[in-house]
Amino acid sequence: MSTDLAGGAEGTVTATVERGPRIAAVVIAFGWHLAINLPAVLGTWSQYRLPWVVGAGWLVFTAVGTLAAVNLLRGAPSPTWPLVGVLLLVDVAVFACTPGPLVFDSANFGWATLGWFVVLLLWGRRIPALVAVLAVGAAIALVGVLALRGGGAADLSRYAMAVYGNATLPIAMMIAVNLLSTLAGSTARTVAARTAIETERAAAGRMHQTRRDRLAALDRTAGAILTELAQGRADPADPAVQRRCALEASRLRRLIAESDDVPDPLLHELRACVDVVERNGLPVDFVAVGALPPLPVEIRRQLAEPLTTTLAAATRWARLTVVGQPDEVVVSLTTPGTSMIITEPAGNTGDAIGRAGDDSSGAGGEVEYVYEENEELVWVQTRWRAT
Amino acid sequence: MGADPVAGDMTPGGSRITVAIVDDHPVVIEGVRSWLATEPRLAVVATGEDPDTVLAAARPPADVVLLDLRLRGRMVLDKVAELSGAGRRVVVYSEHSDSETILAVLDAGAVAFLAKHEGREHCVDTVLAAASDRPYVPPALAGAIVGDRRTGRPVLSDKEREALLLWFQSMSKASVARRMNISEHTVKQYVDRARIKYARAGRPAATKAALLARAIEDGLVRADEIGN
Repeated sequence: MSTDLAGGAEGTVTATVERGPRIAAVVIAFGWHLAINLPAVLGTWSQYRLPWVVGAGWLVFTAVGTLAAVNLLRGAPSPTWPLVGVLLLVDVAVFACTPGPLVFDSANFGWATLGWFVVLLLWGRRIPALVAVLAVGAAIALVGVLALRGGGAADLSRYAMAVYGNATLPIAMMIAVNLLSTLAGSTARTVAARTAIETERAAAGRMHQTRRDRLAALDRTAGAILTELAQGRADPADPAVQRRCALEASRLRRLIAESDDVPDPLLHELRACVDVVERNGLPVDFVAVGALPPLPVEIRRQLAEPLTTTLAAATRWARLTVVGQPDEVVVSLTTPGTSMIITEPAGNTGDAIGRAGDDSSGAGGEVEYVYEENEELVWVQTRWRAT
Repeated sequence: MGADPVAGDMTPGGSRITVAIVDDHPVVIEGVRSWLATEPRLAVVATGEDPDTVLAAARPPADVVLLDLRLRGRMVLDKVAELSGAGRRVVVYSEHSDSETILAVLDAGAVAFLAKHEGREHCVDTVLAAASDRPYVPPALAGAIVGDRRTGRPVLSDKEREALLLWFQSMSKASVARRMNISEHTVKQYVDRARIKYARAGRPAATKAALLARAIEDGLVRADEIGN
């Protein structure tokens, strides 16, 4: 559980921390593409060998960049490698159309802009992937420079400077972002793990305290009656003494059961009701069998609520049972008598059958409610069935 | 197998049903003895904390053995199986009334399971029924069967399951009968029939065979229903 928590926190924190760099990367790529490439392309339009190819190439860069940016900001995956391939093809085409003198100019926009757009596509991948793509870009450029300008020393050194300039900034940015997200992730993991441990410790501490309180209370009350019995001050034939004994026994039984079972909300809620009436001296036999499916709070309320009134009004003893199956949960309360006239809707047979609550929509199933009172006992039953 | 054939008929004038009580707490033995003493058809013939010694000492032989499941800190399920296999009618009584334990006790061949808190009437009725190889299902046992989710568990009919569920909840056959709109006798039939289905499950034991045979004889189930 703590691992899940830490993992979830890691993802959330990393996403938040990375949001800024993502936006920055998109702004840089499009800033470059619109502010530098567009005027250069338009200004050089007449000198390109095939201007429409360059124009189309600019539009393809824009389209690929937009797709990559949207997916990046949304956290959705892009078809990375096909799009990288498209960008490289545009790079080749722009080279082929650019006149020799303008090879190192912004008019040959593919080479200079490739890095920033590839960063958008390769976000979150390892650095070598970016380096490899930039190397392919550099190789294309080398072929282009050699073909368009020959292998002069001055051109080769300009080429080297351009390769350096085009590659370093995108690579630096990617390294920085990767470091940032690694740090954020590990920090979040540590914090989440510590929180989980502290929560568990606090919960365990509280549970321990509750159990100690209960034991202390049992010690006072159960200990007292046992002492009185041993000293002969309490008469086992006295109904009051018998009732005290029964009450202590049922509390003891429940304490033992509590340490056995896993936290189950419905049982927990019912136990809370039982607690209250037991405190008032009513012995309650609380038995749960089967395994309870997870139930939404609304259903649990509908199952437990109708029983609580009768339970609170029970006078001599009460029996509360829960039977769980994957598709059915039945809760029942029986008691030989109550101290009040219960104003339940009564049919002509003395039974009332209907749904408890009028809205179980969306909760996955219905809760049926049965109330019966006869000379022998008062019987309340709620039953949930999966639909 | 040491059972008195007349005992099952429960005629007041006939010989009494003999009972052995095995428990490692003398106070419990005395308590159970006093419960059984309220029923003139029952006679406790031996008590003690060791099953073998108690059964060897019983004169006349015990028709029914009331056996505490936990003796000297040990669960004696194996003893239940051994005695049941030998045809002894074992009624297990225990404070361990969780479903798994109860179902394991049934599997081992015990005639009945009684939770220690279930009181005198259930105890007497269980022993009387056990002596005649008839099923008796106290509420805790009904709960265990209703909550049984094991794979390969016996398949109960809707009515049988509902009768068991309501009996487990209310502990009143009259109330169950009223709720289901049937007679008390029919309620008992549904409950007993569910119990008999468990006699067919798990490892075979002489006591299970005896329960089944009596159920057929009583018309509770048909022989062809027992087939598998």
